Amino acid sequence: MSRHGRPVLLVEDSQDDAEFTIRALRQAGIVGVIDHMHDGEEALEYLLGSSGATRRALPLFVLLDIKVPKVDGLEVLARIRLEPRIRALPTVILSSSDVIQDIERAYALGANSYVRKPVDFAEYSAVLQQVGRYWTRVNTVVP
Amino acid sequence: MNPLIMVIDDSLTVRMDLGEAFVEAGYRVALCASAAEAREALAAETPALIVLDVVLPDVDGVQLLAEFRTRERLENTPVIMLSSEAAVGDRIRGLTRGANEYVGKPYNAGYVISRATELLRPPQGSDAALTILVIDDSLTYREELGEKLRAAGYRTVLASSGREGLRKASDLHPHAIIVDGVMPEMDGTAVVRRIRLDPGLDTTPCLLLTASEGAASEVEALDSGADAYVRKTEDADIILARIAAIVRAAEDSRDRSPPASLMGPKRILAVDDSPTYLGEIAEQLQLEGYEVVKACSGQDALSLLAVEHVDCILLDLIMPGLSGTETCLKIKGLTALRNVPLIMLTALEDPEAVVAGMNAGADDYVVKTIDFEVIKARLRAQLRRKQFEDENRRVREEILKKDAEARAAQALADMHAALHRELETKNRDLEILNKELEVFAYSVSHDLRQPLRAMDGFSQVLLAEYGSYLDAKGKHYLERVRAGAGRMAQLIDGLLVLSRATSHELRRGPVRLDVLARRVVERLRDAEPDRRIEVEIADGLEAEGDAQLLESVLENLLGNAWKFTGTRENPRIEVGARTDAEGTTYFVRDNGAGFKMAYADKLFAPFQRLHSEREFPGTGIGLATTQRIVRRHGGTIWAEGETGVGATFFFTLDPPRRADA
Repeated sequence: MSRHGRPVLLVEDSQDDAEFTIRALRQAGIVGVIDHMHDGEEALEYLLGSSGATRRALPLFVLLDIKVPKVDGLEVLARIRLEPRIRALPTVILSSSDVIQDIERAYALGANSYVRKPVDFAEYSAVLQQVGRYWTRVNTVVP
Repeated sequence: MNPLIMVIDDSLTVRMDLGEAFVEAGYRVALCASAAEAREALAAETPALIVLDVVLPDVDGVQLLAEFRTRERLENTPVIMLSSEAAVGDRIRGLTRGANEYVGKPYNAGYVISRATELLRPPQGSDAALTILVIDDSLTYREELGEKLRAAGYRTVLASSGREGLRKASDLHPHAIIVDGVMPEMDGTAVVRRIRLDPGLDTTPCLLLTASEGAASEVEALDSGADAYVRKTEDADIILARIAAIVRAAEDSRDRSPPASLMGPKRILAVDDSPTYLGEIAEQLQLEGYEVVKACSGQDALSLLAVEHVDCILLDLIMPGLSGTETCLKIKGLTALRNVPLIMLTALEDPEAVVAGMNAGADDYVVKTIDFEVIKARLRAQLRRKQFEDENRRVREEILKKDAEARAAQALADMHAALHRELETKNRDLEILNKELEVFAYSVSHDLRQPLRAMDGFSQVLLAEYGSYLDAKGKHYLERVRAGAGRMAQLIDGLLVLSRATSHELRRGPVRLDVLARRVVERLRDAEPDRRIEVEIADGLEAEGDAQLLESVLENLLGNAWKFTGTRENPRIEVGARTDAEGTTYFVRDNGAGFKMAYADKLFAPFQRLHSEREFPGTGIGLATTQRIVRRHGGTIWAEGETGVGATFFFTLDPPRRADA
């Protein structure tokens, strides 16, 4: 399967932020499917549920907003790292804040990166393009 | 050195007798036969106490006393007047001219020594030398121990037998007694038992010495009431240490005015209109060791009692002028005298007179006979009763005092507990408030920025994708929307830093402010590599505090200095410290835009800005944050400045040290 055939999973409850993120990824040259889940529960169902990733290819990487409804981002991250089948999935935490405790906890739970979403769209786009390129071109994870 | 007693008396016998008695009691003496000799001796050394005869060959004793009282050095020196004149008027004259005591001749030497010791007893808590009585039948041992005690700063009195020791103890009220366990006639434990039975001495610490090693003798020693037990073979230092310990312990519990000793001499006031009878009774009682004051009328007696304390009153029932019954009524009507035992003397068995006297408040009555033994016995009984009453009252007062103290302590403890509870509640409330603030700041940082991102993001999308539909003005307005969003984001970040400076837990440690300052300046240079600013940072700026927060302080102050020197030709920034008695003050100085001193206190309020956004950009939160961090360290921050000349920010990191601390 072509790597571009694998989707990117975006977990984000803000419709606006989701739209900016998708724009930035497209600008980074990611043309494949971007699956957008609106809360942590949906994300876990997508990754672990009976109708989820078992039948579907694993995403290339996960962009996970730290503050999503139902099951929060860090909890989703912890569950990913506990599940042998998907534990190696590259997961990037997106956050509005740079509260030091959040950053520390995210890395302690096994986040591959922590990105603070800047207010300036141009900056945001630049950061996400880097993240997207890194995980789709530079670095690949053995499934 | 032992205190000096000056005895001024023209009688050689008196000088020799009193001199010997004082030396034996551990004092030094200066003996003078006249006022002239006394004045000469006074020039050499100021005595601790003066015994002064009323009748001197060259001058009247009372006049000499008045002269002493005008000299600064002798203003407060205790003076005991000696007089063979029995007249009450003389006594009153002496006592009102500043005599502390008035002793009639023939005197009892033990009584004079005892009164002198009382007068010289240092007020409680003073550092004056403590008197130790050493009772031991071995001359060598008591002299040796006495020497060591004197070397350690004590006053010592030595006695060679139990009886002598007991007499000196009741005369001198020593601060502690060291007594040998094995002595002929009366042994050490017997001495200690006797001391424990005397209300005037029962709290005096006693240390028992023994040559034996047996445990049984130790038990016996402690059973007798001794406070400590030391073997004679032990090192003198150990004995000194034990003495110091028991004296210290006793000083803490010592009653302010210990009751006069039961065995000590008493002063008796005898009132009778017959000089013959007065003479006879005085002679008899003086033989018993009493000090007798004679008054020949009720009026005299009352005048005397107003200035002098007596232990018992013998009052003739039938007298011209103020009668015995009337005198008795007056005496018993005075609070200060009500408790002095009063024995009525009556010439005949007259039941009615006796009843009248007793009704007037007399404590006992005696028929005047040639046989003085009955009077002496009644007197002893009255004195004993008074002594035990005093002791009872003292114990009762002590219990009441202790009770009151305990109640006060309880009240204090209750108050403390209530305060503590209140503080705890407030602390808990504050903790909850802090937690809430933290949660609030957290959600602010997450949620408030998102809409701004939307404003900026869609503005850019609009510019990128629909730019062709917008003219220059339209694009300009969209840029204004973006700028507004950007500024709002800065303000939110500033507020978050401010709230973190408040809730962040202080992690104190040694901090090198010069190292932090250099790091901050490096970052500022990196951000604006084109600016040429002369920066001077003093070396070795050591401080105690939270490194992360202090870096934020320097970031703010240096960032401001950097910013406000932007329009200067030769910009210069200086970081340093000065240390004085109150502690260390750090400063950051620049030669930038400065500010009007009138606005100095506005600098630190959040969102206060002294410059327009166009002149110098900023959020107005930086200095508020800085102040909060400095205050959390226990320090203060202030600024000095002048428009167009520059600004200096000073801060301390500890509460000011007091120069005397």
